[in-house]
Amino acid sequence: MPTLAAGLSIGEYARSLERRLAFLTALLLLGVWAIGGQGYFWPAWAWLGLGDLVLLDFTAGWAWRHPPGAIRRVACVWALVGAAAVILIFTWLLTWLLAGVHSFWPAWALLGLATTGSAYSLIALHDRVLVAHGRRALRARIDMLTHTRRQAVVAQGAELRRIERDLHDGAQARLVALTLQLGRAELRVQDQPEVRRLINDAQHEAHQAIEELRDLARGIVPPLLADRGLQAAVESLAARYGLGTSVEARLHRGLAPAVESAAYFVIAEALTNTAKHAQAQRSWIVIDDRHRTLTVLVGDDGRGGADPAGSGLAGLRARVEALDGRLQVQSAEGEGTVIEGRLPCG
Amino acid sequence: MRVVIAEDLALLREGLVALLREHDIEVVAQVEDGPGLLRAIAGHEPDLAIVDVRLPPTFSDEGLLAAIEARRRQPALGVLVLSQYVETAYASELIGDDTAGIGYLLKERVGDVRAFLDALRRVAAGGTVLDRQVVAELLAPRDGAKRETLASLTGREQEVLALMAEGRSNTAIAEALVVTPGAVEKHITSIFSKLDLGACGEDHRRVLAVLAYLRVAR
Repeated sequence: MPTLAAGLSIGEYARSLERRLAFLTALLLLGVWAIGGQGYFWPAWAWLGLGDLVLLDFTAGWAWRHPPGAIRRVACVWALVGAAAVILIFTWLLTWLLAGVHSFWPAWALLGLATTGSAYSLIALHDRVLVAHGRRALRARIDMLTHTRRQAVVAQGAELRRIERDLHDGAQARLVALTLQLGRAELRVQDQPEVRRLINDAQHEAHQAIEELRDLARGIVPPLLADRGLQAAVESLAARYGLGTSVEARLHRGLAPAVESAAYFVIAEALTNTAKHAQAQRSWIVIDDRHRTLTVLVGDDGRGGADPAGSGLAGLRARVEALDGRLQVQSAEGEGTVIEGRLPCG
Repeated sequence: MRVVIAEDLALLREGLVALLREHDIEVVAQVEDGPGLLRAIAGHEPDLAIVDVRLPPTFSDEGLLAAIEARRRQPALGVLVLSQYVETAYASELIGDDTAGIGYLLKERVGDVRAFLDALRRVAAGGTVLDRQVVAELLAPRDGAKRETLASLTGREQEVLALMAEGRSNTAIAEALVVTPGAVEKHITSIFSKLDLGACGEDHRRVLAVLAYLRVAR
């Protein structure tokens, strides 16, 4: 650092010294012209040369302040173009004032300089322009994907609820009506054992189908959750495990089915783990939907040591993250387990 | 016997009506929702209401709530709730403090016509009928001390308890399991001693024993 600082200050000094020298030289030449009988004002040309030096020094310093790479290279090119343009214009000014040249001869040169500078800039910077543009487009795309993914998951949740309802009220109800008809038919053929057996077989098949549909519907959403919402479903769940789990629910808003289901399955999985592995004395559940976030806490005072990467928890994490939520597991050996899920629900 | 049916699905409702009429059971009203049920029981004073758990407009637990309210207004009314699924919380709510004249069955039990009609009559007469899946749900091996005693029942004893919960007599249980009534007696004695409920022969007391467990499990 000291070397760098020293280098910088030497540079500064040299630059100011150079400017002072240039100024003194200009004055000196003016004196020589005045003493030498005046006449043709030749010092103007010398001044032009000295000015060029100072100008180049200044533009080079300006260019060098840019970050290294394409931008600095472009700045250097424009420093040269700028300096050359100024030199050309002053030179023309002198030829006009001192030699009476009226045509603006640097025009083509200036045009050439500007064209070259622009062309170089375009070539050197087009990558960067593209990258910046790409980054903006990317950010917009991420925003859009996040938004549409959430919408898709939420819509899918609602759609699944509809399917569950349709299974119950459509196919399953029809099968129930079918078994009823078969039952009525069976009573009429008491004296025909073969027909009765056929009817019984058909009823058995219908029962299997009803059973399968029921399992399917339950996997989509447990009936109590669909009928009465998260709090009732969680309370029933807690009671069913017989762990004396306390449930504290502070829910103030209607939740999207997808959010509700994800929260429910987080709690169900956490309770299963507690019952299976924790050997806990106490366990508790807190559900809260303040700050546009549904927070779900499931804790116990058992032995801890749960593996956050275990298949059950990993599956839950995927489910929660699909809704832009977060799942955290704290389970130090011997210090109980706390699973916390946070789901946006605004 | 005079019956009110609350079921929104016409196909099933009409099937039920036809079935009951074939067996000389009078269907005095058919309704499609909860308020309809309450109006019907006030107007017709039936012996029994057959109610689907899910009814319009919300298709959640309206039927159950209407059935509970109907019981509150007319305590002598028998209520048989039919459901596409078994939810022990619903069974507990339906039973409340009074087990008389309560039934909770899976819908597909209507296919076994004789058992279903038998269940209807028992509920109308003030008996208690619980679906065997309610019991199975309670007996399902889960953790917790209260489950351990239930889990100590043998497979056959669990079957007997499930049939008891359906309100069946010893003879009916013996028939269903293809064993002698004496063997059923033995199983029942064993169940009572394992569950520490004390032996009692009466049908209704037996169901109470099952329900006592239901409440413990609640």
